[in-house]
Amino acid sequence: MPLLTESKHFIRPDGPDKVTGSGRYVADISLTGMLTAKFLYAGVSHARITRLDISAARQVPGVFAVLTQEDVPERRFGSVADRTLFAKDVVRFEGEVIAAVAAVDAEAAQQGLDAVVFEYEPLPAVTDLEAAIADGAQLVHEGWADYEAADVERDGNIASFTSMIRGDVEAGMAEADHVVSSRYVSDASQPAPIEPRGVLAQWEGDRVTIWSSTQVPFQARDGVCETLDLPTNRVRVIVPHMGGGFGGKCGFHYEAHVAALARAARRPVRLVFSRQEEFIAPDRRREGMIIEITTGLRNDGTLTARRARVLLDNGAYSSDASFFPHMAAMQTLGPYKIDNIHVEASSIYTNRQPSGSVRAPTAPQACWALESHTDELAAAIGMDPVAFRQQNCVDTGETGVAGQVYDEIGLQDCIREAVSAIDYSQELDENEAIGVAVGWWPSFPGPSGAFVKIDSDGKGVITTGAQECGTGSVMTLPILAAVELGMEPEDFELVYQDTSAAPYDEGATGSQTILNNGRATVEAAQQIAVQLKSLAAEKLEASPDDIVLADGKAHVAGSPELAVSIADLAGVAAEGEMLLGKGSGTPPEYPSAVGVDCIGDRGLSGWVGPQFSCHAVKIRLDRETGVVRVLDVSAAHDSGVIINPIGASGQVEGGVLMGIGQALTERTVYSEDGAQENPAFLDYKLQTIADAPPIRVHFVEIFTPGVGPHGSKPIAEAPNVATAAAISNAITKLVGRPVAQLPMTAERVWGLMQGRGGG
Amino acid sequence: MTEPVMLTVNGIDYRVNVDMGRNLLSVLRNELGLTGTKEGCDDSECGACMVLLDGQPVNSCSYLALQAQGRSVTTVEGLTPADGLHPLQRSLLEQGGVQCGFCTPGIIMSARALLDRNPSPSEEEIRIGLSGNLCRCTGYAKILAAVAQTASDG
Amino acid sequence: MSFMIAGSLEEALTALAAGARPVAGGTDLVVGARQGKAPLPTSLVAIDRLAELTQIEPTDGGIRIGASVTHARLLTDPTIVSDYTALADAAALVGSPSTRNVGTLGGNVMNASPAMDTGAPLMVLGAVAEVQSERGSRTVDLSDLWTGPGQTSAKVDELCVAIDLPSRPARSGSAYVRLEYRRAMEIAVVGAAASVTLADDGTISDGSVALSAVAPTIIEVDGVAELMAGHLPDAVGAAIAAAVAEAAEPISDLRASDSYRRHTVGVMAARAVDAAARRAAGEEISVPVNRAIGVGASR
Repeated sequence: MPLLTESKHFIRPDGPDKVTGSGRYVADISLTGMLTAKFLYAGVSHARITRLDISAARQVPGVFAVLTQEDVPERRFGSVADRTLFAKDVVRFEGEVIAAVAAVDAEAAQQGLDAVVFEYEPLPAVTDLEAAIADGAQLVHEGWADYEAADVERDGNIASFTSMIRGDVEAGMAEADHVVSSRYVSDASQPAPIEPRGVLAQWEGDRVTIWSSTQVPFQARDGVCETLDLPTNRVRVIVPHMGGGFGGKCGFHYEAHVAALARAARRPVRLVFSRQEEFIAPDRRREGMIIEITTGLRNDGTLTARRARVLLDNGAYSSDASFFPHMAAMQTLGPYKIDNIHVEASSIYTNRQPSGSVRAPTAPQACWALESHTDELAAAIGMDPVAFRQQNCVDTGETGVAGQVYDEIGLQDCIREAVSAIDYSQELDENEAIGVAVGWWPSFPGPSGAFVKIDSDGKGVITTGAQECGTGSVMTLPILAAVELGMEPEDFELVYQDTSAAPYDEGATGSQTILNNGRATVEAAQQIAVQLKSLAAEKLEASPDDIVLADGKAHVAGSPELAVSIADLAGVAAEGEMLLGKGSGTPPEYPSAVGVDCIGDRGLSGWVGPQFSCHAVKIRLDRETGVVRVLDVSAAHDSGVIINPIGASGQVEGGVLMGIGQALTERTVYSEDGAQENPAFLDYKLQTIADAPPIRVHFVEIFTPGVGPHGSKPIAEAPNVATAAAISNAITKLVGRPVAQLPMTAERVWGLMQGRGGG
Repeated sequence: MTEPVMLTVNGIDYRVNVDMGRNLLSVLRNELGLTGTKEGCDDSECGACMVLLDGQPVNSCSYLALQAQGRSVTTVEGLTPADGLHPLQRSLLEQGGVQCGFCTPGIIMSARALLDRNPSPSEEEIRIGLSGNLCRCTGYAKILAAVAQTASDG
Repeated sequence: MSFMIAGSLEEALTALAAGARPVAGGTDLVVGARQGKAPLPTSLVAIDRLAELTQIEPTDGGIRIGASVTHARLLTDPTIVSDYTALADAAALVGSPSTRNVGTLGGNVMNASPAMDTGAPLMVLGAVAEVQSERGSRTVDLSDLWTGPGQTSAKVDELCVAIDLPSRPARSGSAYVRLEYRRAMEIAVVGAAASVTLADDGTISDGSVALSAVAPTIIEVDGVAELMAGHLPDAVGAAIAAAVAEAAEPISDLRASDSYRRHTVGVMAARAVDAAARRAAGEEISVPVNRAIGVGASR
C-alpha cells in the first residue's frame, strides 16, 4: 500500500488565515453590545456555603446580570452526575464557580464580583489519596450514593473503580524466580494549551448561538441542553479557530454559564479566561497517581504474574474520568505477555481540581511507572532492557494481558527502529545514557457523520462535526475525500465548526477523527463517486463499473483518453440531480477480551486498532545538580498506514516534547489544603525551543484492516505515552535506581543520588 | 482617567484614548482591531503577544501602551504583504510549523526580529532567538526548520 | 493618574519629587499590576528615552552604565563582554530576547529581587549605584542599597541613574552561573557570580563571590579572597562550595528546598570561580558561561 500523499507538501487549508493574523479565535470575536463575563471562584478547597448574597452586585453600575445556582435549573452532570453549574451548598475545589457576572467591561464585572457576599464555613480538605480511602475519612461528596452513574463502581471517596483479573496470580508468583515490587508516585500536570479558553453567547429569540473554544462542540451543545433544559434545535455551537486543546478543552465547560448570562443580560456575553483561570478552574488536568506493581519473572525472562494497585486523584468532580481506572489498569499491565494478572485501580475524590482527559489520559504516568518497573525486572536477571522487551512484548498473533489476540501489529518493529535510529550501542560519556520504553494506546470507535457536496465548478465541500484544534483534520479529511474522487485535497473546503450544519461527531477527543470522521467522509465521498461514474458512463458510453476517477477526470478503465473532467460532470449534475453524499458508517466493534474478569468494566480490555510505540532517548545528567537534559529522541510508531505524513510527524514531535516536559519540569504543586501554587507559566515550566532535542520520527506502516480508512490508525495521543518512561530508564542507568516520582525534577534526581527517595 | 495618545502601528498613525495602566496588547486588540496578536498569559512567559517595537521584539502584554508613543509598532498584520505571504509565513506553512496557530503570530514576529539582525543564524541562534515563544503543539522541530529555510532562501 | 515621558533628567527628577514613580521597560510594573500583586502607581514618569541614562561610557576609574541600558545591550557590548563578563553572562540569561530588549539594568537593581541575575555580578565587580534626586546626587554601595526582597534604601524621589564599575585588574576574569531547569525564560533557582584575579604564577591573588536567590537580598560571601589566595584555581572548588553553603540562608519554596539550594549554590559558585579563573588566564569562554561550558541545564 503506497502512502497516499508521498512527500507532497499539502499546505493546511487554515494555514494562511493563521499565519497572517486574520484568523479569528473566540477571544478575537466581538458582537455589537457584547458584555464581558467574569466568574467568582470559591478560592477555598472545601467549605460549606453559609451565605451567598448577590443583591448588591446586581446594583453595581454597568453590571447587567449576576447568576448563581439559584438562577439555573437543578441539574447535575458529569460521567458521575456529581456536579452542578454553580456551587450548591458545598464547594469542593478552589476553582469552583460560585457566581457569574456580565458587565459592560472587565472593570465593572470585577466590581460586580467584589460586591458578591460569599461566606463559608471551612471543611477539612481531602488531599491525600491513601487517607481518603481509609475508614472514617472525610467525604468529599456526602451524597455520593444518590448520584446517577452508569456502570461505575463507587464507594465512599472512591469515585470509580475497576479490577482486572486473569489467570492465577498466586500460582504465577509461586513459579517466579524473582518477584520485584515497585512504587511510583506521579504529580498532577496540565494540558496548558497556549490559547486560554473563550466562550461567546448570543441569543436570537429562543435560540442561542455559542462560539466556544471546545474540542467537542456536540458534547458542549448537549451539556447546555441538559443543564439549561433546552432542546438541541435551540442551541448552536460554533468553533472558530482553536488554539490547542490537548484534552483540556474536551467536555462541557462554561458554555451554559455564558449562555445563561447572555439570556439574563439580554446581550451577547463573552468570557475569556486568564492564564491563571486556565490553570485553576477547568475539570481537565492530568491526574496524580500512585502506582504499585509487583511482577514475578523467571531467570529466562518469562513474566509469570503481575499484581498492581493504582490510586488516581479524581479531584473534586468526575468530569469524564470514570473510565480512568480501567485505562490505568491496562496501562499498568502494558503490551506484554503475562497470563496471570490482578490489577485494582481506584479514582479517588479529593478537594483538588477535577481530573479529566488530557492527551492519552492515565498513560504517560502509568507507562512511566510500568516501563521503569520493566527495566527493574530486566536488571533483576541481568538482561539488557531492550532484549527483555523484545522477548516479552506482544507480537502479531500473540495474546495480550487481557486475553486479546492481536492481528498484525508492529510493536517489535517499533522497538527495532527506535533503538536503531538512536544508535543504542553507541559509546557514551559517563554522564550520558540511553533509555528505552514501549507504549500502547487504543483507538476509540464511535458514531460520526459527514456530508460531501461537489458544486457546479467541480470544487467540493466536506461538512462534518470533526474538530480542528491543531491536529490536522483540515488536512486529512480533504485528502480522504480527494482519494475517493480522483481529485486533489485542495479541491475541498472543510466546514467543521457548526453543530447546526454538521452531523454529530465526538469531536477532537480520543484521537478519533481519522477513524470515525474519516470513515464517514469516505462513505459520503463514495456516494458521490457512484454518481460521477454514472454520469460519466452516460457521457462516455461505457458501463459505470468501468469508469475510473483519477487526476480530476473520469475515464474508461484502460483508455485514459476516453475521459471527461469532473468539473464538466459537476456542471451537468448541477442542472439536475446534484452531487451530494452523506456518510456515517458503522463503527468497528470492540473485540472481546478472553478470560479477563473485570469489575467496573468500561469496555477497555479489548482494544480496537491498538497503536504501539517505542521511544528511545539519550540524556545527559549534571551529577552535581541532578539537572537532566534530553539530547536526542527517536520515536517509532505503529499507527497503521499514515495518511498525512506532515500532520502525523507533527503529532509525534509535539507529543514527545510534551512528554519531556511531563518527565522533567511540568507539575502542578498543591498546598496542603489543595490550592495550586504555580498557576502560571513562570513556574509551570513547558519546554522551550531552546530545550527541544532533535526528534527522529519513524512510522512502522502496517496496513491495518477494520480501523481507519486505508489501513490507518489514529496518532494524536500515542506519542504522549512513552517519552517520560524512556527518560526515567535513562536516568536509572546513571544513578542506579528509578527516581520513582514524576516529574523527575532536578532536585528529585539529586535527592536520589544523595540516598533519599527513589523506588 | 484616559490620556490621548498617538500610536504608529504598521505605518499608520492612530489617535486613541487609553488608561494609563492599559497594556499595548489590549490597545492593539480592542481599540485598533488588530487581533492577530494573541494573549496567552499575562506575564511575558508565552510570547503569543509578541510585536516589534522599533524593530525589536517586545511582549505587548507587559508593555504600557503609553510608552509606545513615538515608536513604531509592527504586528503580524503589518508584516503580511498586500498580496501573498511573507517568506516566514510561507516557510512555516510549507514545513508544517503551524498546528493550532495560536503561537504562530508571536513566533513570526520573533523570527522576523532575529533574521533582521542576523540573516544567517545558526540553529542555536534560532533556538535562542525564539526562546521566548512557547508552542504546545509542534515540538518546535518544524518551526526551527521553517526559520532555517527562510534564512537560507534569503 | 498621570503619565509623562520625561524629556530630560531634570524633568524626571521633578516628577519623582512630586510623587511619580519611574518606569523604564515596565515589565515588572505592568506584570505586577495585571496579576494584582501591586497596583500600578497613580503617577508614572517614563525614563527609558533619557539619552543620559542609556550610555555605557568609560570613566576615570572604570566604566559607567546608564540605568536604562537594556540587558540586550549588556550582553553584546564589547567592553562589558571582555572586562565585566559576569554581567554579560547574567544579562544573556535573563528571560527571553524580548524581556532582554526592554528590561534595564537600573530597573533590575532597583527592583531588588533576591533572585535577580545581574545583582551578584555587579557585587563581585564592585559596582556602586548612582542615585539622584532634586536634592542632589550620591553613590550607594549595593550592599547598602538592597535592604530586603523588593526593598532598597533609596528614597522615593531618588532615581538610579547609573551603575559605576571600577576598572578591572590585570589577569582578572569574572563569571555568573545559575541553576536553571530549562534553557530559557527561567528565573534563578540559585546563582553565583565570581571574580578572580590571578598572580603571575597562576595562583589566585584575589577574588570574590556573590550569590542570588539564597538570602533576602543578593549577598557577597565573606572571606572568599582569603580562602582562594595563593591557591591554584583547580584546588579551591570544594572550599568555595563549602564556604558558600555556609553563607547561604536559603528558603524552601516551590522552585527548590532550602537544602537543595544550599548544595547547588555551592556548585554554582565553584563553577563560577572556575570559569572566572579560566577567563582571567585568557581562555575565551563565550557568553553566557552556562551554555558555553555545559553548566546545569545546558546542552
